[in-house]
Order: sequence, then C-alpha cells, then structure tokens
Amino acid sequence: MSADTALSARGVRMEYRDRNTNQPLLAIEDVDLDLAEGEFVALLGPSGCGKSTFLKIVNGLLKATAGEIRLRKGRKGREDAMVFQDAALFPWYSVLDNVAYGLVCAGVPRREARRRALPLIELVGLTGFAEKYPYQLSGGMQQRANLARALAVDAEILLMDEPFASLDAQTREDMQAELLRIWTAAKKTVLFVTHQIDEAVYLSDRVIVMAARPGRVIADIAIELPRPRELDVKLTPEFVRYEQRIWELIARQRPTTATAAGTQTRT
Amino acid sequence: MARWRYAKAPAVRRSGPPRRNVPDRGDDRGGIVYGPGVTAATFRTILPRVRRRRSPLSRWYRRNERTVLGVAGVVAFFAAWQVGSDAGLIERFFFSSPGAVLAAAVGEVQVPRFWNDVRISALELGVGSFLSLVTAVPLGIAIGWYRRVSLTLDPWLNFLQALPRVALIPLAVLWVGLGWDMKATIAFLGGFVSIIVPTVEGVRTVDQQLLDVARSFRASERRIFTSLVIPGTLPFIVTGIRLAVGRVLAGVIIAEFYAQTEGLGVLIAKAEASLQSDRMLFGVLIFTLVGIVLTEAVGYVERYLQRWRPSLDVEEGLT
Amino acid sequence: MSLAEAAQLASRGHPPRLRRLLAIGGASERLLYGSVGLVGLTVIWEVTSGLGLYRRSLLSSPSLIWSAAVTDFGSGTIWPHIAVSLNEFAIGSLVAFAVGIPLGFAIGLFRRLDYFASVLLAGLYATPNVALIPLIVLVAGIGLESKVIVVFLSTFFSIVVSTVSGVHSVARRHIEITRSFGGSQWLAFRSVVLPSTIPFILSGIRIGAGRALVGVVSAEFLSANVGLGFYISLYGQFLDTSRVMLGIVLFGLFGIVIGELVRVVERRFEAWRPEIH
Repeated sequence: MSADTALSARGVRMEYRDRNTNQPLLAIEDVDLDLAEGEFVALLGPSGCGKSTFLKIVNGLLKATAGEIRLRKGRKGREDAMVFQDAALFPWYSVLDNVAYGLVCAGVPRREARRRALPLIELVGLTGFAEKYPYQLSGGMQQRANLARALAVDAEILLMDEPFASLDAQTREDMQAELLRIWTAAKKTVLFVTHQIDEAVYLSDRVIVMAARPGRVIADIAIELPRPRELDVKLTPEFVRYEQRIWELIARQRPTTATAAGTQTRT
Repeated sequence: MARWRYAKAPAVRRSGPPRRNVPDRGDDRGGIVYGPGVTAATFRTILPRVRRRRSPLSRWYRRNERTVLGVAGVVAFFAAWQVGSDAGLIERFFFSSPGAVLAAAVGEVQVPRFWNDVRISALELGVGSFLSLVTAVPLGIAIGWYRRVSLTLDPWLNFLQALPRVALIPLAVLWVGLGWDMKATIAFLGGFVSIIVPTVEGVRTVDQQLLDVARSFRASERRIFTSLVIPGTLPFIVTGIRLAVGRVLAGVIIAEFYAQTEGLGVLIAKAEASLQSDRMLFGVLIFTLVGIVLTEAVGYVERYLQRWRPSLDVEEGLT
Repeated sequence: MSLAEAAQLASRGHPPRLRRLLAIGGASERLLYGSVGLVGLTVIWEVTSGLGLYRRSLLSSPSLIWSAAVTDFGSGTIWPHIAVSLNEFAIGSLVAFAVGIPLGFAIGLFRRLDYFASVLLAGLYATPNVALIPLIVLVAGIGLESKVIVVFLSTFFSIVVSTVSGVHSVARRHIEITRSFGGSQWLAFRSVVLPSTIPFILSGIRIGAGRALVGVVSAEFLSANVGLGFYISLYGQFLDTSRVMLGIVLFGLFGIVIGELVRVVERRFEAWRPEIH
C-alpha cells in the first residue's frame, strides 16, 4: 500500500450456508484488490460472480467470512458512499430531502444537510426538481438523485452497484456520459459494478474481470483510452478490441457456451 | 446524440499510465505491506465476521422459531387464563376458565335444545346470506355497467356502506317482528351492502391494457362484458363475500340478542342473565370458530383467484 | 378476518393501472348525477309514501323524518344522545390508537414478539366483538365504560393488525440505505418505517372506525339508557318509525363524516403517493 491507495482488499472470501441443505456456498473466493485515489475501476462479471456482494462488504452491509479491507480515512465522515441499483429513493421524501439523507445519517442537522445538498442537485442536472417527489421523476432522473445523495456525503470512495441497470438503453448511455462528467468535476475514487462490457470499458481506467462459481478475479485490464471520452469512442477499433478481449476472457469461463459457436468474432 | 463537454480538468489524474493491480503479498499469506509515508492509522480496517459454533438444538430452534413461539403464545394465553382463574386473580364469575368453558361445551352439545338453537341460527345465516348473494351480485353488475345509473345511486350506496347495518334492527323488527325472519333480514341487509359495493367497484374499474386489447380486436360491448368485465369483477365479488361474512355474523348475533327469541345468540344472552359465563363464552366461541372458518375459506378462494391479479383496492370500512 | 386480510392491506401499496371502464368523467358529472339520485329518490320516497302504497309505519317519509328532526333538535332532546355516542366513540378510539399503534410497531419490529403474538392476534381479530357485549356489560355495567370498552376492542385489533402489516411491508432496500450511510436504528425508524407504515395505519383506522360504529350501536341497543342507539331502539319500541329513521340517518351521516376525515388525513400524510391524487 502506498500513499495514494484508497482501498486495499486482501483475501476477501464470502461463504453462505444454504438454509435448507446446510451446504456451504462460496460466493467470493479470495479476492485481492487495490484502488488508487481518483481511479475509476469497474468490477465486471456475470451474475453470481460476487461483484455486488463485494461492494456490500466494503460498504459494511455484509460481513465477509475472511479477509481484510482497508479504506483510506477521509478528512471527515465516512470513507465510502454507495449508489444503489433500484428502489433507491424514499418515495415520501422530496428529491432534496433524499439527496440530503446521506448527510442526515451522518449526523448533520437537517437544515444544514439540505443546504449542502442543493448544489449537488444542480451538479447532476436536476435543477428545479428539488421539491418534487420521486414518483414525478423518470428513471434516469431518479438515478441522478441517487448519485447526488452519494456525492453529498463527500466520501472519497464511490461504490456504484449497477446503477444504470434499470434504465433503458438510450438513457443508460446518456447517464454514462453524465457520470464521467460529474466524476471529472467531483474527483472521486469509483468502484463501479456492472455486467455490461461496453459500460465497463467506456467508464473506467481499469476493468477487473470476475468469474462466477466461485466468485473470483480472473483479470485486471488497464484501459488506456484517452480522456475525456465521448460516447462515440465506443465505435473505435481500440474500444472494440478491449471488449473482445474481455468477452473472450469471460467466455473461456463458460466452456459449454463458448465452444458451441467456435471462435467468437464481434461485429 | 448530445455531445458532452468535459470540464477543463487534466485528462489523466495521476502521473504515468494507470497502474495494474499488484497485490503486494510480501512474504506472508495476505499481509499488508506499507509503503513510505503510510501507516496503519491512515486506514480504517474492515474485518471479517466472527463465526460461532451453534449446537444442533440451537439450529433446530432457529429453523422452527415461528411455530414454537406461535404455539407458546397460544398456550400461554390459555394457561394464564386457567391459572388466573384458579388462583382467583381473574374473576371466575365474569370470565370463567378454559376448563369450565370446555365442560360447558360438553354439557351443551348433549342437550337437544342447543341443536335447535344452532339450527335456527344457521337458518337465519344461510337464508340471509344466500339471498344477499343472489340479489347483490346481479344488481351490482347491472348498476356498475351503466355509468349513469351507478353515478346516480352512488350517494345512496355510500350512505348504506357508511351506516352500521345493525342500526337497522329496530326497523326490521317494525317490519317483520321478532322471529327468525327478522334476523335473516338483518343478515340479508348486511350481506347485500357488503357485496354490492365492491361488485359495482369491480365492474367500474378494469385494466386499461386489457381494454385496449379488446378494443383493438373490435370486440363488441357484449364480448367485453362477458370475457373481460365479469372475470375481472370476480375477485371483487369474492372480497365482498369475505367482508360480508363478518358483517352478517355480527348482524345475526346482535339481532338475536335484541329479539331474545331463539338462536345461539339467545343462548349467550340467557347464560349471561343467569350468570353462567362458561356457557356464555362457549356460545361466543362457536360464533368465533364459525367466523374464522368461513373467513378463511373465502379468503382461500380469494387468494386463489387473485394469483393472476396484482392487487385489490377494496376493503371494509366506511365509504 | 385474519392476518390474511391484513395481507390484503399490504397489497394496497401497488395498485395496478386500473381505469374506470366507462370513463367516468370529471367531478362535475359525478356531482350532477349524484345530486339527481339523492334528490330524486327522496322525492320518489315522499311521493310514494303519500300514495299509500305501503304502510307509513314501515318506512315513514322524508317530510315526517324532517319534522321529527326539527322537533327533537329544537327541543334539545336528541343532543344528549348524540353527545354520548360521540363520546363513547371518541374515547374508545383514541385509547385504541394510543395503545394499538405502539403495540403494532413493537410487534412488527421485534420478530420474536411477532411470532409469539400473531396467532393470538388473528384469533382475537376474528372474534365478533359484538358477541362479547353481554360479558362486557356484566363486568362494566351499562354506563359509558362498557361502551368505551366495546369501541376499544373493535378498533384495537384492527389497528394492531394493520400496523404490523405496514411494518412488515417496509422495503428492505430502504433500511439498507440508512445503514449504508451510517444512520442509527432510531433514524431508520423515523425516516423509513414510520412513513412507510402510515398508509397502513390509516387503513386500519378506517376499518376500525367502521367496526367501532357497529360496536356503539350494538352496545347501546342491548344495554343503555342514553345514546343514539338507545334512541333508535326506544322509538322502535314506541313504533315511531320516523324517529327510528332519523337515528339511522344520523348514524349514516356520522359514518360518512368519519370516512371523509380519514381521507383528509390521508391526503395530508400521503401526498407522496401517486394514487392519492
């Protein structure tokens, strides 16, 4: 670990016990991970590979069976803040109260929390919607509020658990670009969980590829595409090559489906 | 597609290319090696969970906790009742005890008069409920189908629903006297209102998507009625029946108390008059059991019908 | 009437996209037809009773009921009855709220307590409260207390069951969010559990109020010497149909008012629900 490490995980292992059969299930097997300050790292893998579980362990919602994680202490408050996938806003709170909620949890008085939350609403592009209720917002807008809430607590590390999974394809791409804009302005460390290869490659400095059963890291790929990245970088040959590399890595873990079509060539 | 302009921040956030994940294992299994200028205090450590061994008994208990505690709750209730009664803490005079109620039960079922009472109460319940069902459902469907009719009758239906039907008992007495037909009338009124209101509601509301499908296939009004509205209303009707069960039962009980002629309710009232709380509670118990059984049965049918339907916004209560 | 019914309440959280089949348009149309119905039936009633198609004593007539009302309200004889019934209803309900809501939260939040009490609760909820009236009168006499107890029992179980159901319906994700940001359990209760449960509590109040009304009427029929229910049964014995109908109408109006009150409270506390609008 060095001076600019934000997160360091060693030997993280997660075991479950099946309630009925009492068999042990291995969700995560021995994951090591390092995040440097300001990095945008994607955790990519199929469902069941433990990526969301790992995120929850970092956030403290779950406790690992073994292994240690170290988070660089921030100047104040929590070191990490989570952006959830869905059902993420409280329907009975206005957008502003929702964004302020993270601060309220940290002990900030409500009025002060609301004051601090207001600029973030502008940052994520929700100006004018501060007093609306979630049911009046579209899916994309709700996720922006979700993001704003995590940003408001000013934690160094942002944990994002497939935040765009419930959005339609168009909104999703817009949100990806938005996220990069906000990340550049906010200068955070991000650990972004996703199962979409193009999303991982587009957004991150590094893609950590995981496989399932048991969940484990199989590769760590540096994405050396220049920043700032526009959405049309997804069409460039370098981008496609990264996608292909990752695709093959993942496919190799599933012998039955990969060999069926022979060598995969992506169009 | 909109092009996003990025802020003028530096394109790369650190000097040099992005770093690979190099786990510095050091020389032990997973030890952390600290670089220059960094100590353990700079970081917050998240530790794994401490596992505890659990005995097999403890494991069994955890799996069956719900049943164990549920049974314990019921047992505790009756035990406390019995013990309290025996110890004199609970006034036996008023509240009797489980044992005494049971004994009274055994005594009562051997007396023919008891079965006569049961027969009459059942008659009142049965006739009233049946009539209410066969009148409320067709009428409710008819009212709900014709918009103007349902709007016109709305105030009256709302009024009847808000009104406690038992308040109509003296009126029913004025109409038909104190016999079993009065109680059947009360049962009828209770059931009728409980069923007709949800039925009208059910006919008036229908899934918008299905309506569009039917219209796009140029279905006739009649076809829409039989294939869309009727099946769609069925869960509402069944809900109405479930609500009716409680209302009808309460109606019959009060009517019998009021009239004091025949029926199980009279058993209860007379037992109270002669200060026999064990017989009285036995009567209450019968009504309770009947109520539970009927409600559960209807509830079962209702849940079965609702497997395809997401939810119902109908409930008992005022308007 | 079991916890299955309470589960019914739980489903209130996600109504499907229902639409009035016959496109009941605007409030104005509803008002128009409703008024026509109200006035029209009243007129028909008045007219037919005058024609002698049936005995006056069966249904009376609007005009007779009105004059009875004028007499009894004017002379003030009916006010004590109304006041007493209102009193019984209010006191019993308020005590039921005060005891039932916290208990409901406790049962909903503490799993062990829930398991212990739920069977019992379901059974007591299913018991027709009216059957217990003779017992209650035996214990508490024919005064105010016995009626308050009846109202209390009628409302109490409904509120507890619905509050428990509300607590159970809290989305796990919302609690997770509070934990994720480091909030305390108390904060989670205030900001997640409480708002989520309020719709259910109000539902339970509505149901309970309906039952309480039945309880008031029944108890006053069976053993009272004052109260609106007593008023009805008294004049029933005097064969004074008009006053009987008057009492019935008053009870109906009372029920409607309570229903509207609950609706007002709902609109105030549930502004964030799209269905309320």
